[in-house]
Amino acid sequence: MDNATKTTVTLIELDQETRSNQLDRAKAWFDNVLLTQASCRKLLLDTVEKIEEPHIKQYLTQMYEQEERHEEKARELFSLIDREPSDIRQFLGEIMGKARQGLGDMIAMTGSVTGPWQDLHQLYISNHHSMGAFAVAEQLGLALGIPRIAEIAFGVVAEKSTSQLLIQECVLEMCSKSILYHESF
Amino acid sequence: MDSNETQRKKNTGFKISKAKLKTASTSQQDLHNLPTQARPSVDPNDVVVPEGYVVEPVMVGLSFPTDVSFADDGTIFVSEGGSSWPTRPYMPARIVVRHPSGETEAITMNVHAGPRSVTWRDGELYMFFKGGYHAQIAKYNLQTGDLKILIDQIPSGGWHEPGGPIFGPDGLMYFGHGSVTQQGVSLPAGFTVDLAKHPLALDVPGQDVTLTGNNVRSRDPRLPFPFMIETGAFKPFGTPAKKGEVIKGELFCNSAVWRSRPDGTNVELLAWGIRNPFGMAMNEEGELFVTDNDFEEKGERAIANDPDRIWHIKKAREPFGSVTTPDWYGFPDICGDGLPVTHESHLPLRGKAPELLLENPPEWAGPAAFLEQPHSCMCKMDFSTSDAFGYKGELFVAEWGTLAPLNSPRPEDLDHGFRVIRVDVKNGTAEPFMHNKKFGPASTVGSGGIERPVSCKFSPDGKSLYVLDWGVAKVTPGNMMGFAHTGVLWKVTRKEENNG
Repeated sequence: MDNATKTTVTLIELDQETRSNQLDRAKAWFDNVLLTQASCRKLLLDTVEKIEEPHIKQYLTQMYEQEERHEEKARELFSLIDREPSDIRQFLGEIMGKARQGLGDMIAMTGSVTGPWQDLHQLYISNHHSMGAFAVAEQLGLALGIPRIAEIAFGVVAEKSTSQLLIQECVLEMCSKSILYHESF
Repeated sequence: MDSNETQRKKNTGFKISKAKLKTASTSQQDLHNLPTQARPSVDPNDVVVPEGYVVEPVMVGLSFPTDVSFADDGTIFVSEGGSSWPTRPYMPARIVVRHPSGETEAITMNVHAGPRSVTWRDGELYMFFKGGYHAQIAKYNLQTGDLKILIDQIPSGGWHEPGGPIFGPDGLMYFGHGSVTQQGVSLPAGFTVDLAKHPLALDVPGQDVTLTGNNVRSRDPRLPFPFMIETGAFKPFGTPAKKGEVIKGELFCNSAVWRSRPDGTNVELLAWGIRNPFGMAMNEEGELFVTDNDFEEKGERAIANDPDRIWHIKKAREPFGSVTTPDWYGFPDICGDGLPVTHESHLPLRGKAPELLLENPPEWAGPAAFLEQPHSCMCKMDFSTSDAFGYKGELFVAEWGTLAPLNSPRPEDLDHGFRVIRVDVKNGTAEPFMHNKKFGPASTVGSGGIERPVSCKFSPDGKSLYVLDWGVAKVTPGNMMGFAHTGVLWKVTRKEENNG
């Protein structure tokens, strides 16, 4: 069947200039994804080292391997839009991870908390932050019509959501020992 | 009514204005390397229509479009964006306006869920919006920019869609709205799409109904832990019903079809019990027909093999203002074929089998004017009124297509829909009119053809059929992803017309 005609077709927001501008804006968000992910991964690494309880230590050690993969996924997002990640943002993320650890120490000092519980609590917030950044990246993939972005981000969000439940359980289970008994774990 | 409910029903209003739109012109030959990897190619040669007709794309790159309408001078209006199917990603809620010169602009609005329909009439655009706990019909004057809310009390905020408004030969405005719930009870599947924003949304009947008290048990995704919870019919999620409980019918119910004067006054309820009357059309004799989509075969109230259907709204024939009791078309207990949801032919392969929700239900107003394959998802439609186009008097229906394997485990449901059919409403028969060479969406069959037709409307002279293609949705057994900038407006004409 020959349906070809000479009618002019109107492209909606698919011209090169509009598209390039939107990809630049997506790139700026992906830098945030990398920053929050680096922060989460760094905080997790430092938290694992402090925990003595063997099962929680094992859970978090396995989670760390996953977080390293998530950071690779964050970097892959850039290649899908032909842009380069900002290494400075990743470095800033690691600094933020340390800063969040410091925030946890301050909360511990003022909140009658003992042991690494406060680091776990900060990790709970940091993982949620990073998960939200990936979830936004998923929306950008859908809005740009690029399935691979959405697939990568959805997969990471799914794993982080599972991790979030685990971290939440550890935080809630160990809070009484840390706060009421002033004991480490 | 308590203060919370009063607040929910209050019209909070929104702004609307014209804006520039970034567009470019191209030829059909340049549509094979689009930047949207979800739909890299648009090619009319992959689309099949009857011999003697020709297909061409008019607009490419639309984002979740829902409806198309025309001014008398040929200006095209396409409603798109908002928070739609699924609710993410949100894209700007707007009407894309393409003038006969080719110049294109947008009518933008700060309303969340966005316009689900657009109808031009005498220099004004009538639009039906979702968003919040109640749906709104608004009228926008293209010359003055004046915006008026005509209807603002329809309980919404759930799964299904507004229908219309359309205008009959009698000058009256006809409109509808689907149920809040997917399966007759608010359940987690609906929660994840719409009820996260509207946890108090509920179905409202059009007549007083007595409940069986058959509640549905499900997990409660609102809570920190997914506890079990019970929900009853015509209740918000998590609220059980009691056996013998009477729910009062209301004029502004849902799963319903109404008519009113064009200014939204003297609203009259014609019918209810219609799960999703998204498509509405009236023929030259003034007979009103609405599309309706079938139950899904999944979850805690799963129903199998429910046919998609077109209902004939017989009450529309009665004089305006004379309808005292609306007709009931079966939702939430009767399938499109007239059998109860508990009939053995509707028992699910997957999910929990349903129980009846209504005691002593009203008399069923069926049978349907036309039954279609389950999950075809018939959407907006229009009657051919032109001998020049052909098939005069037949109803052209856009079929958005199945969400299987998400909403059905049956392999035979995987390619239902994804086409335009023409229906003989007098005999209840239909023929395919527009589809891909291999049935299914282009992204699945690997072509540049059509994806998901959501609306089809004839041009003012009746000589061209415009088919609005929603774009790409990727479906798995567990979820669905919709991709923006993959929508297309197609135009179908007879070759004789095209060649002048």
